[in-house]
Amino acid sequence: MKLYAYCVSEDGGKPVDKELVTGVGGSSVRWLKADELIVAVSDVDGDTIAITRENVLAHERVVRKVLEYTTPLPFRFGTLVTEARLQSYLQAQQAALQSKLLLVDGCVEMGVKIIWQAHSTNKESLSEEVSANSRVGEQLIEGAGSAFLMAKRQEVMGEKILADRAKEIASWLNERITASIRKDHTSVRPDEKLVLTAAHLVERSRLEQYRRTLKQACSERPELHFLTSGPWPPYSFVNVELEFKTQFGVS
Amino acid sequence: MSLSPENPHSADPEVETSHAEEFVEQLRQVTDTLPSRINVDAHSVEQGLAKLVLTLIEFIRRLLEKQAVRRMEGGDLSPEQIEELGLALMRLEAKLQELKMQFGLADEDLNLDLGPVGRLI
Repeated sequence: MKLYAYCVSEDGGKPVDKELVTGVGGSSVRWLKADELIVAVSDVDGDTIAITRENVLAHERVVRKVLEYTTPLPFRFGTLVTEARLQSYLQAQQAALQSKLLLVDGCVEMGVKIIWQAHSTNKESLSEEVSANSRVGEQLIEGAGSAFLMAKRQEVMGEKILADRAKEIASWLNERITASIRKDHTSVRPDEKLVLTAAHLVERSRLEQYRRTLKQACSERPELHFLTSGPWPPYSFVNVELEFKTQFGVS
Repeated sequence: MSLSPENPHSADPEVETSHAEEFVEQLRQVTDTLPSRINVDAHSVEQGLAKLVLTLIEFIRRLLEKQAVRRMEGGDLSPEQIEELGLALMRLEAKLQELKMQFGLADEDLNLDLGPVGRLI
């Protein structure tokens, strides 16, 4: 018998009504206490959990239920462990986990994704722009090698222009919402259509302000396509490192 | 914040976009790149190894190209040296193209997803 771990939070008193949610494989969810921490777990037979839509949604459902009451540190999907090992981990990592809990305390994660058209449609015009302003090729030998390098130069300069434009979008977004968030993780990929993916850690008390600000910001850039989502558990801000094997290896 | 079942917050996530199809397409592309199963047969192992090695070569090749462009921009190469360097890089690109064809790999196969850091190339 092993435990399937969903999330860890501080033991602040009365636990969430476990009857309200069903865990992976239809299991019931209970709380495992370890000093000042508690972990939402299910008892599971076997050493693996099937990677199915139902199980993934069950994991998310349990974590989301806890999120209604407090901000937990979610475990990765598929975390299976013996009770002794989990207790040992919690005792050894208590200070680190409490520090992470403090970081996300009272917050939820909100997501922003941005699609742009510049990654493909503008490359040629960018290259032409670079060529028009260039004097580098004026004294080159008219050979295949020089032509090859000139073409590469245009490509490299075009990529740089794209990278600068993508960076500008990230700075613009950050500037708009920085007063409404506690922390952010932003990934920018100028070569791709999905140019920006950001996770924002937002205090629940500022959630409405954040939403209003973001909506206003989105309306400022009609050339960009936005997807906003949340609230989510703070998956992007807490990587609970467990020193034991899950079915995916060491998580 | 302590657990307080008497005072829950709504945690139902909302997703808002006016361009749902575009985002679904992008997210599908991400999931399509994740292998659902790893086939361990002689051919796939050989191809997987070739993919990894060629990805690293491609990464270095691109670095060399960028370095060459920087040197050209900086004006520290003579026209003859630019021609020579360009020819060498052109041959390297052609050779890599040949190897990709041999192992049945496309341009987009030569990349590594480094998670939060992004992609290698």
